[in-house]
Amino acid sequence: MVKWNDITPRVQKMRARYRSTQPRLCTARYRLVTEFYMDNMQLTGILKRAKNFKNLCEKLPVLINDDEIIVGEQVTSYRASAIFPEITFRWIVDELTNGDPMARESDPYIVAEEDKEYILSTADFWLHNNMSQIWDEYLPEGYHAHSGNGMLMFHDENNTTTPVGHFCVDFNKAINKGFGAIKREAEEKMAEMEKNGLYGDSSKKYSFYRAVAIVSDGMIIWTKRYAAEAKRLAGLENDMDRRAELLGMSESLNRIMENPCETFQDAVQCIYLYYLALCLDGQQHGLSLGRVDQYLGKFYEADIAAGRLTPEKAQEIIDLFYLKLAEPNKMCQYDPTTIANPGYTSGNLVTMGGVDRDGKDATNPVTYLMLQASGRLILHSPPQALRIHKNTPDELWELAIETTKRAGGVPTFEYDGVIIPALVKRGMALEDARNYCLIGCVEPSGCGDEWAQPGGTGCESYINLVGAVLLAMNNGTNPMPGRDGKVKPNTGLKLGYLYDYKTFEEFQDAVRQQMEYFIRWHVSCENMWESVAEQIHPLPLVSATIEGCMEKGRDVMSGGAKYNSTGNSAIGIGNVAECLNVIKYAVFDKKLCTARELYDAVMADWEGYEELRQIIVNEVPHFGNALDECDQFSRWTAKVYADAINSSHGPRGRWSAGCYPVTLNTVMGWFTWASPDGRKKGSPLSDGISPVQGYDKSGPLACLNSVLGYDQTDFGNGTLLNMKLHPTSLKGEDGNRKLRAVMETYFERGGMELQLNIVSSDTLRKAQEHPEEYKDLVVRVAGFSAYFVEVFKDCQDDLIRRTEMAI
Amino acid sequence: MSETVRGRIYDIQGFSVQDGPGIRTTVFLKGCPLRCPWCHSPESQLFTPQLSWISMRCIGTKMCDSRCVTSCPKQAIELGGTRLDSASGEELQMVHVKRDVCDDCGECAAACHPHALYICGEEYTVDEVMKKILADRSFFEHSGGGATVSGGEALCQPEFTLELLKRLKAEGIHTALDTTGYASWEVVERVIPYTDLFLYDLKHMDSKKHRETVGVPNEPILENALRLAECGAKFQIRIPVIPMFNDSVENIEATADFCLKLGEAVEVVQLLPYHNLGVSKHLRISDEKVAEAMPPSDEKMQSFKEIFTRKGIKATIH
Repeated sequence: MVKWNDITPRVQKMRARYRSTQPRLCTARYRLVTEFYMDNMQLTGILKRAKNFKNLCEKLPVLINDDEIIVGEQVTSYRASAIFPEITFRWIVDELTNGDPMARESDPYIVAEEDKEYILSTADFWLHNNMSQIWDEYLPEGYHAHSGNGMLMFHDENNTTTPVGHFCVDFNKAINKGFGAIKREAEEKMAEMEKNGLYGDSSKKYSFYRAVAIVSDGMIIWTKRYAAEAKRLAGLENDMDRRAELLGMSESLNRIMENPCETFQDAVQCIYLYYLALCLDGQQHGLSLGRVDQYLGKFYEADIAAGRLTPEKAQEIIDLFYLKLAEPNKMCQYDPTTIANPGYTSGNLVTMGGVDRDGKDATNPVTYLMLQASGRLILHSPPQALRIHKNTPDELWELAIETTKRAGGVPTFEYDGVIIPALVKRGMALEDARNYCLIGCVEPSGCGDEWAQPGGTGCESYINLVGAVLLAMNNGTNPMPGRDGKVKPNTGLKLGYLYDYKTFEEFQDAVRQQMEYFIRWHVSCENMWESVAEQIHPLPLVSATIEGCMEKGRDVMSGGAKYNSTGNSAIGIGNVAECLNVIKYAVFDKKLCTARELYDAVMADWEGYEELRQIIVNEVPHFGNALDECDQFSRWTAKVYADAINSSHGPRGRWSAGCYPVTLNTVMGWFTWASPDGRKKGSPLSDGISPVQGYDKSGPLACLNSVLGYDQTDFGNGTLLNMKLHPTSLKGEDGNRKLRAVMETYFERGGMELQLNIVSSDTLRKAQEHPEEYKDLVVRVAGFSAYFVEVFKDCQDDLIRRTEMAI
Repeated sequence: MSETVRGRIYDIQGFSVQDGPGIRTTVFLKGCPLRCPWCHSPESQLFTPQLSWISMRCIGTKMCDSRCVTSCPKQAIELGGTRLDSASGEELQMVHVKRDVCDDCGECAAACHPHALYICGEEYTVDEVMKKILADRSFFEHSGGGATVSGGEALCQPEFTLELLKRLKAEGIHTALDTTGYASWEVVERVIPYTDLFLYDLKHMDSKKHRETVGVPNEPILENALRLAECGAKFQIRIPVIPMFNDSVENIEATADFCLKLGEAVEVVQLLPYHNLGVSKHLRISDEKVAEAMPPSDEKMQSFKEIFTRKGIKATIH
C-alpha cells in the first residue's frame, strides 16, 4: 500500500501561490537583449550569443521569493513569462497591435501598458533581426510552389516559431565539475592554440572555447548574485530560522556553479539554475532535465549517512524544486498551430528509474521522492517519464500507478527493453544507450551526450501524413483552403484522382510517393534551417557540458556532440491506415461504393453523403480490432514513413522517425480536409500510434494487439500510446496489479511507451454535455459495462460520483 | 466436434477485470432460465437473437430516409420520439419498435448503417471463439488471468460450454465459469474437470422467495454447490445485494452459514451492491418499465461484509 508523505505547510503555501498567480509578461530580459543587440551590431555568431548571455547574467534583476529554498528567476515577478525576440517576433507586434493577450481563450497574459509601448517602440529593429525573418529568406526557392500542401508546417513566411529546445545537457558535469573547471579547460585550450598559432580550423575552435569561457563566467556571476541577494535578505529577516536558512543558501550559492556541489541541496540548486540559464539564453522549449534521480542519488545517500539530511527534508526540497520547475512558462504566438501545449507549461521533462550503464536497476530513494512530489502536489508540470525494465521494483511500480491515478497520465511509462535497442539501432554505444533519458515530449535521447533535435529545429518537426492521402486522391491539390480562403492548386504531385486508379495497389503507391516526396521537402527545409541557425544561433551554454563539444572544440549546432540526429514525428498514421483500409474494402473489394462516390463524398466534406459515411464508420472492419487484414495498413504506413525518415541525413547526422502528437493531432486536424476514413473536415487526427478515435471497438486488449503490429524500434524518436481506462475497473491494489500486467505485456511484446489516461470525472461531465463526442466512452462497474452517454442522467451522476471516489 | 458445435453469444469482452482473477477475456452466452428483475444484461435472458435499439446511435429518419421503417416486412417500426443532437442543434426524429409485432427477423438491422438497430446474439463456433481468446493470451499470463465463460447461463448451452472449456484447458488457459448454478447435476458434473474456478451466484436462501422473484427455486442451486464442493471445485461466491429482496440481515447470515458448509471450496465471497445502470439496457429490447431501487448504502454493504468476516469467510465489496 502506498503511503503518501506529508506536505509541509511551506510547500502547501507555495503551491497555493503557484495555483493562484496569473502569469504576466515580463520585459526585463527583452529590454536587456534589445539594448545589447542594438549596441553590439558588430558582434555576430557565437561571440554575440555568449556575450549576450553574460550580459543577462550581470544585469538581470535577481529575485528570491518568500519561503524559497531553491531559487532562480528569469523574470522580475513570480510566474511571469520572459520574451525572446531574437527567435521569433512578428506575432507579438501583431497581437499587441490588433489583439489583447489577456483576452486569449487559453493561457492569457497580463501585459503592462509601459511594456507594450516599449516592445512596439523597438519593433522595427526586431522585425528585421529575428531568426524567423532571417530564415524565411533562406527557404529553398522551389518550396514556395509547394507551400500549402497540408502535410508540412512550412509556409511562405513566419517559419520559426520556437528555438531548438528538446534536449538534455550534461547536468552531471555542472554538478560534479562546475563551471570554474569548464572555464579553465576552455582557457587552457585557448592558450595552447595561441602558443601554436591559430592554424587550420583552430580559429573556429578558438572562438568556440572563448564563447564557453564567457558563458561559464556568466553562470558563476549570476549564481553569486543570488548568493548576495540571499545574504541581503537574511539581513532583513526577523525570523531566526529563515535567516539561518538564507545564510545557508547564500553560502551554497557562493560555492556551487564555480565549484563541484557537495550536498543534496547544492546539487538540486545547481540543476535548477543551469536549467533556468538555458531558458534565459533562449532555449525554453521542451528543455529537459534528464535522469534527475541519477544525478542526485549519491548526494542523498551521503547526506543521510552524514546526518546532514533527513528523508523529510529531502522530500521538501524536491517538492520545492518541482514547484520551481512548474513555474517557467512562455508567452508564445497565439495561433492554433502553436498552441499545442496549453496550460502555461514549458515541457521540462524529467526522467526517473531505468537501468544504469551496466544494465542494473538504477532506482534510488530520490526516484521515490520525485514520484511522491508529482502524486501529492498534482502538478501537470514538470512532466515525468518513468523508465521501466524487467527488474523495476514492485514498490516503484505501485507508487507509479498510484501517481498516475492521481496526477492523470503522469508519469509516462517507457520501456528500456525496446528503447535501448532502438537507440543502439540508431548508432549509440550500449552503455550510453542504457543511460538514455526522455526529452521534449517522449523522445528517447542520450543523457548529456546527444544533440538530437527530436522536436525539430526552429519549427516543430511534424508531418501530417493524412495530407498524403488527400494529395494522392485529388491529383496533387490539397482540398483545404488556406488562410486566404482559397484552395491552392497543385502543391503536391499530380498522380491522378481517386477514381483514376485502376487498382488499389496503384492508389497505395501514389500515397507512398506523396509521403516520400514531402518527407524529402521537410528534411530539406529543416536541414536548411540548421545551416542558418548554426551561423546566427550557436549554443555555447549547451555545448559547455554536452559530451563531445569540449573535446572537439565545436558547438552542438555544428556537430560537436558525441551523438547527433534530427527527429521527426508523424501525425495521423492511424488515419492513413484507415483511409487505405476503407478504400480497399469499400471500393475495391466489397464495392460498397464507387471510387467516384467516395471521392465526391470526401470533397463535399460528407455533406449529403451521411449514409455512405455511416457505412464506412460502422460496416467496414477497422484498424485497432486485432484484425490483420486492417492492421496491415498501419504497418505499411509506419514502414514507409519510418524508412523515408531514417534514411535521411542532416548536416550533423541521420534523421530519426517518431510518432507522438502532443496535442498537435487535434490542432492539425483543424487544418485538414475531410478524409476517406469517415473523418469530417476539422476533426482531430488519430492520436500517436493509436487507431482512429472510436474505431477500436473491441476493447483495450485488441487495440494493444493491433498497435503491436509493427516494429517500434524503427521509431528511435519515440512513440506515444494513450490508453484510456475507467478508474472503477482499476480500484485498489488488485486493480494496480492488473494495470501493471497490461503494461508489462505490452512492453514485452514490443511496446515502447504507454501512458494511462484514467477517465476523470471531468471527462464524464463533458460527455454528459456533449454526448455525440463521447459516443464510445465505455464505463465499467462490477461485471458490467455500458456506453456512458447511453445511461440515464441520474446513473451518469452516480458514475461521476463513483469515479471521483475511485481515484 | 468443435467445427459443428455452435454457441449463441451476445458479447466477447477483453480486459474483463472483474470476472475472476487477473485480466480475463469473457465470453457471454445468451439465454438464461432465471428472470432476475435487476438483471443488468437483459439481452442475455432469451435464447433467441433479439432486435436491439440504441437511441444514441440513431441519426434520425430524415438523414437515413427511414430505411428501417421501409425495410420492415411486418411494419413493426414506426416513428417514435425525438432526440436533440447537440452537435447540429437539430431535433432528430427517431423510431419505435412495436415489440408485439416484431419477430426479430433483422431486416431493419441490415438496413441501419449506424447500427442503431442491430441483432443481439450471434452464432460462433468454438474455433472462432478460441481465436479471439488466444489473441489476448499474453495478457493472461502476466496477470494470472484467463478466460471466463459467462451468460446468461452458460450451462444452458452445455455442449458448447463444455467444448470451449476443454479447449481452453488444452491450451493451458485458466478457466472460470460464471454461473447461476441452475442446471442439472449431469451437466454440471461434466464441466468440473475443465473449470478452475466457479463464479457462483447465491441470490436468496429462502427457496420460496427465490422462486417468487427470479422464477426458479433455489434447491438445485444449493445442491449443486454442495456437490461441487465435495468434488473439490473452487468458488468465488457472488451475492448481488438487492434492496427489498435479499438485503435482510437474516438472509445474509443464512447465506454466510451456507458458505461455511461449502468450507475450503470458497476462496472469496463478493458482495455486489445493486446498481441501476442496467435500466437503460432494458429499453434496448423492450418497452416495459423495469423496477428501480436505491442502491444499498456503503454502511449496509460494510455491515454485510462483516457478517462474513466474523464467520471467518473472506469477503469483498465490488
